[in-house]
Amino acid sequence: MKLSTETFREALLEAAKQMEQHKDELTDLDREIGDGDHGINMSRGFQAVQKELEAQTEYEDLGALSKQVGMTLIKTVGGASGPLYGTAFVKFAGAFKGKTEAEGDELAAAFKEATDGIKMRGKSEFGQKTMVDIWTPFYEALEQQTDLHQALDQALTDTKERVATKGRASYFGDATVGVQDPGSLSSALLLRAIVEVLR
Amino acid sequence: MINLILVSHSEKLAAGLKELLAEMAPDTPVLLAAGLADGSIGTDASRIEETMNELTDDGLILTDIGSATMNAELALELYSGDRSVQFVEAPLVEGAFLAAVLSGQSKSLDEIVTGVKSEFG
Repeated sequence: MKLSTETFREALLEAAKQMEQHKDELTDLDREIGDGDHGINMSRGFQAVQKELEAQTEYEDLGALSKQVGMTLIKTVGGASGPLYGTAFVKFAGAFKGKTEAEGDELAAAFKEATDGIKMRGKSEFGQKTMVDIWTPFYEALEQQTDLHQALDQALTDTKERVATKGRASYFGDATVGVQDPGSLSSALLLRAIVEVLR
Repeated sequence: MINLILVSHSEKLAAGLKELLAEMAPDTPVLLAAGLADGSIGTDASRIEETMNELTDDGLILTDIGSATMNAELALELYSGDRSVQFVEAPLVEGAFLAAVLSGQSKSLDEIVTGVKSEFG
């Protein structure tokens, strides 16, 4: 299970496509339990990423690619997702610095660092019905080398049934049970696109 | 004099607050990092960081809700300038009032942070 600079770039282009396809779904979910802009924000951010990745096809290493994507997301996403996704990619940039490939423990450690970054930025923990509930089982599956698609599907199912206790969704309390958390869905879209390119 | 940076989702909210502060502490420099570049509602870490580059002295950041705080903390990590800048968690209007008055009395950044924290922390 190896990630290279080239395949990471491919995965991010695919993620941009996915965000565009799910734009309305993300926004509708956010309208139910948030402020209704998640699809628009993620689409705007990943469209900007796509534009840059299409303009620049070669990157020095995984770190340089991650850093550029992180800064673009910080500048363009808006809402709470901008600093959260931006921080995840800035953490990738640190973990992947000087590496053109990553696999095994190294790859798992990078995803753990990104997850820790999201937790630090959002002052959140696992189990609060946020994107952390997707990123955590994902890096754990990488560590334990279990099925990554299955880990993401299970994480989405579990998250949907939780009560939101963090962020704006927490104002909706019990009404959030049975409604998917939009940030969790966008995270799963991104991570699935990455799983697809692991060889 | 310690500069204030007001980080708000709304450009109008921040501009209105700046107007209010000028009544109380006309000499305190107040910078704004509010709204998104296209004028819409939101906060943006890179805009906050750019505003930090305009500081004429050390600076204190105050924020309104939710992601404003996340973006302020992220901007502090991105900032590579020479000024000492701190973020303090307090209700934006009340916190900015107190900070502006303390800055007008030529208090240091640490003294202002301590003052705001002891009032609202």
